[in-house]
Amino acid sequence: MIAIERLRYVRLGTRDLATSVNFARQVLGLELVSQTDRIAYFRSDHRDPSLTFTTDAQGHALALELRDIESLDAASKVLIEAGYVVERGTAEQCSERKVKAFIAINNQSGPQIELVIRPLTSGWRYFPSRDAGVTELAAVALRSSRPEIDLRLWTKLFDGTISDRVGDAAYIGFDEVHHRVAVHPAEQPGILAVEFAVESLDQLMQNWYFLGNSQVKIAHGPGRRPTSGQLFVTFHGPDDVLYSFVSEGSRIADRHTHRSRQFVKGPLSFCCWGSESQIVEFG
Amino acid sequence: MINLHSVSYVRLGTRDIERSEMFATKYLGLELAERTRRATYFKSDHREHTLCYFEGDPTDQTVAFEVGSAEDLAIAATELERCGHDVHLGTTAEAESRKVRDFIAFDDPSGNRIELVVGPAHGGRRYHGTRDAGVTGFSHIGLCSTDPVRDEVFWTRICNPRVSDRIGEAPLLRINEVHHSIAIFASNKPGIQHINHQVESSDDIMRSWRFLQERQVPIVFGPGRHPSSSAKFLYFEGPDGMVFEFSSGVRLIADELLYRERQLAAEAKGFCQWGANPDIPEFRDK
Repeated sequence: MIAIERLRYVRLGTRDLATSVNFARQVLGLELVSQTDRIAYFRSDHRDPSLTFTTDAQGHALALELRDIESLDAASKVLIEAGYVVERGTAEQCSERKVKAFIAINNQSGPQIELVIRPLTSGWRYFPSRDAGVTELAAVALRSSRPEIDLRLWTKLFDGTISDRVGDAAYIGFDEVHHRVAVHPAEQPGILAVEFAVESLDQLMQNWYFLGNSQVKIAHGPGRRPTSGQLFVTFHGPDDVLYSFVSEGSRIADRHTHRSRQFVKGPLSFCCWGSESQIVEFG
Repeated sequence: MINLHSVSYVRLGTRDIERSEMFATKYLGLELAERTRRATYFKSDHREHTLCYFEGDPTDQTVAFEVGSAEDLAIAATELERCGHDVHLGTTAEAESRKVRDFIAFDDPSGNRIELVVGPAHGGRRYHGTRDAGVTGFSHIGLCSTDPVRDEVFWTRICNPRVSDRIGEAPLLRINEVHHSIAIFASNKPGIQHINHQVESSDDIMRSWRFLQERQVPIVFGPGRHPSSSAKFLYFEGPDGMVFEFSSGVRLIADELLYRERQLAAEAKGFCQWGANPDIPEFRDK
């Protein structure tokens, strides 16, 4: 079993780096760490970075942190035995990701997953571009073309556990937060939404009004998820990626005694305030 | 000094009592307490009624406050007359139709009809709303004022309310530990400016927002949060253009000695700290 330490970063390939950078600064309000003509790094918390944009259009990836090099070697072995194609990152790739070492799992049914060790942490206080109240990169929602295979990866090979299910979609956690990853059945694999936690209901609603005034298209919310109890507002970003601000939400103190619940497939299982969703996967 | 204990009920004239009934039960979610030939009474909490719609002129609007005793009522009548207000002593039949032991009625300086009541009836049966709106009770009213500065003097010198905060010239007045039970807003005519019911949580505010939106009830302000009382709110329009508010999380002022009122801007940001823009004439930039 591969022990996941934490969600580390999301790396997104973009067709237009300038637009993505503007969006991350002005709409998400994240802190731009540095930028070249083909890559831009953003912080949302102590992680440097938690969100990266690259001009490599195939570059969508989700990174998880492992404890040490021994864990990484062991993980590599487990994954190869399970039939995954695993590649070790080159020195150049490591430097670009600001990690000591990583392996990339070539996942056919979802986005690329990178297992990293010694990712860079910033000792400097996070200083956002605007006062959106972001506290951290909270979760990533994935589109999966073969959810049962992906759930096996997340819960049998990785040490994640299913917190709750809505239809065949599953919320997966590996710490005390309800979930860090959501796997939604979809025709095309990819990253459905990148979610940032904000301080409270106040910041969530202030952001919702801000998004409306900034002509950002809202995909879902504001609302509350009956599963995690999280407040959310989900909106459209560049390159067909959705972003969410989330807040509050239940905690799972002991994952071994937690029993996942099955919710009915349908919009009311994604919002108990009754907000309408434009997201096909939630239909 | 006239000691108001709490806000008791609202009486609203209406030309279409059926529609008003439908709104009060299906949309506000209140419990129909009693229907008489010309009036319908609604419960929102432990009291026998807190809202009454009667057949009449929609501008015929009254708000009632509870005072302590028959003696206090008599003192209030004398005090009001001394200040030049015509005081009407409620008849037995009128008191019965208001479900109170006794009452007097007068106009405030703007011409708002006010009743002071003794012994409003409490119900033994607990409140059970028509829909699960989470209503916990009738809580405050906004009053229109042709001169908020003059009316603040009336309400705070002749009666006991204290100013909790001001939005421009509009004072938010408390008569107990709740941040405000009366709010006074400038207008060119008297009348009830809005009627507030408290709901259990911000979830209830948001659920009602979606519920009312789906039913094409005009949402005139919110969802939002007042920087003054810190309450989360939703304002929507009912029959005869009356504005109703659901709110949750109103600030309580426990320490009368330490509390100081604050001055807030008479613009959207003084009314909402989330960024909502009011579509309510009395809340617009002056």
